[in-house]
Amino acid sequence: MITIAIAKGRMQDEALALLARAGVRLDEDARNSRRLAITDASGKYRFIFVKPADVPVYVEHGIADCGVVGRDVLLESQADLLLPLDLQIARCRIVVAAVDAEIMTRSLGMLRVATKYSQIAGAHFGARGIPVEIIQLSGSVELAPALGLADLIVDLVETGRTLRENGLTVVEEIAESTGRLVVNRASYQLKAEAVTELVQALEAAMNGGQEA
Amino acid sequence: MRYYIGAEARLRRTIEDTAMSVFTAWSYEEVITPSVDYYDLFEQGMGQKEAQRGFRFTDNDGRLLALRPDVTSSVARMAATLLAERSRPLRFCYAAPVFRQQPQSHAEWRRENTQLGCELIGVNGHDADLEVLRLATEILARLELQAGYCITINNVEIFNGVAAQLNLPPAAREQLRRLIDTRETAELQRFLATYTDSDARAFLHPTQLTGTREVIRAARNVITNNRSVAALDSLEKLWDAIESLGLAEHFEIDLSDVSSLDYYTGLSLRVFVRGAGTSIGRGGRYDGLTGNFGRAEPAVGFVLNLDALTEVLARRNVNA
Repeated sequence: MITIAIAKGRMQDEALALLARAGVRLDEDARNSRRLAITDASGKYRFIFVKPADVPVYVEHGIADCGVVGRDVLLESQADLLLPLDLQIARCRIVVAAVDAEIMTRSLGMLRVATKYSQIAGAHFGARGIPVEIIQLSGSVELAPALGLADLIVDLVETGRTLRENGLTVVEEIAESTGRLVVNRASYQLKAEAVTELVQALEAAMNGGQEA
Repeated sequence: MRYYIGAEARLRRTIEDTAMSVFTAWSYEEVITPSVDYYDLFEQGMGQKEAQRGFRFTDNDGRLLALRPDVTSSVARMAATLLAERSRPLRFCYAAPVFRQQPQSHAEWRRENTQLGCELIGVNGHDADLEVLRLATEILARLELQAGYCITINNVEIFNGVAAQLNLPPAAREQLRRLIDTRETAELQRFLATYTDSDARAFLHPTQLTGTREVIRAARNVITNNRSVAALDSLEKLWDAIESLGLAEHFEIDLSDVSSLDYYTGLSLRVFVRGAGTSIGRGGRYDGLTGNFGRAEPAVGFVLNLDALTEVLARRNVNA
């Protein structure tokens, strides 16, 4: 049996839909229950549902063999994992946004950046030598510029609606993020057959999806 | 920071003794190296990137010291200087703690780990490579892990030959290395889209680079540069020997193991044990290393992580 950690939230629904197309099905009762660990109908897979940021932790420690999680979370965690598949689900962008898009070129002082992604933000500005002060928040980041906490935000954008409604515009895009299949390095060797089977089934499901 | 008390300490000691007795039986002499040495030694031995993870401090004269982040650097320098006149080959083994700083979020974050290791210095080629691989299998078998371990082997010259053919600038070479190492299929295929005529095609499907003999065969169909072909020959010869010894079930070829290219010069290996979430051992050939200390000669070795082995076996005893 292999254990798959799935990021709760939007990723969870899309991941389970893709897995179902790949032949890995959870019955309705199990999906609707509040249990955090459930086994699929075939008994081959056990699913655990955890917060997105915890998926790389479970997989890197080998508690889960595989995981489904967004690239944004992986970039932030810097975990040592294998990333064999881009599942093309839960697509979104990691962007820099501000009230006034020109602030980056106009301000020569220290910019304050509010974000949930302090690693990504630090690396992005650091690589280009732009001095920033990073303010770590854990949610509702779009509020920060309006209230004067920060000049910029680095955040995940799906449709851009939340940004617009809070008076923000995208200054630049840092990276695109989609759901990834991640695999523990030891499981990849020691449970090679089961992991390969899952990878191939998901690949087939994705290709089938494109034709339809 | 980890305490071992009573039964756990005994188990750990037994594992250490088992490994050391296997080394001794194969004529490996124990060596005890200084725990504190000049930082320079480790930078020359491990390369800057790895050595920087060591704990560094200064003495009263301002000279930079380090708590040893590895033992191999010290052994390599010892072979090149203190033991320059001694006849080859040299065989050394050790059980010694090493100290490294790791981000705490990572699975391998412990600052102190005890390495059970060996170095075989002064012999080149396939017999020496095979000797250390057999040593590793013997230790794991003596620890009764034979049902659940896997040693992956690769030859880093396969990647190096391909990268040399592409003539990549260092940053792009590093990116290619990283994409293969993490098997990021989609990004890798995008990266290689401009190199479709080259030997790099061999890496287009990073999830198909792990397996047995067929992996080498598939690589041969695309790879033409001499450097990589020679490495494939050598890897295949090693695989032949592993098969003829009846050890093939414990080994896998993994052409995507390109994690320490700057260090290894030929064979590279990683050891995985059921029950451990990360690799519990690694090693390979580092013919370039002793040259840093003034006397270039071939060398091969590996280390096993005593603390990780203890954890796996302790948990097994509880479950049994």
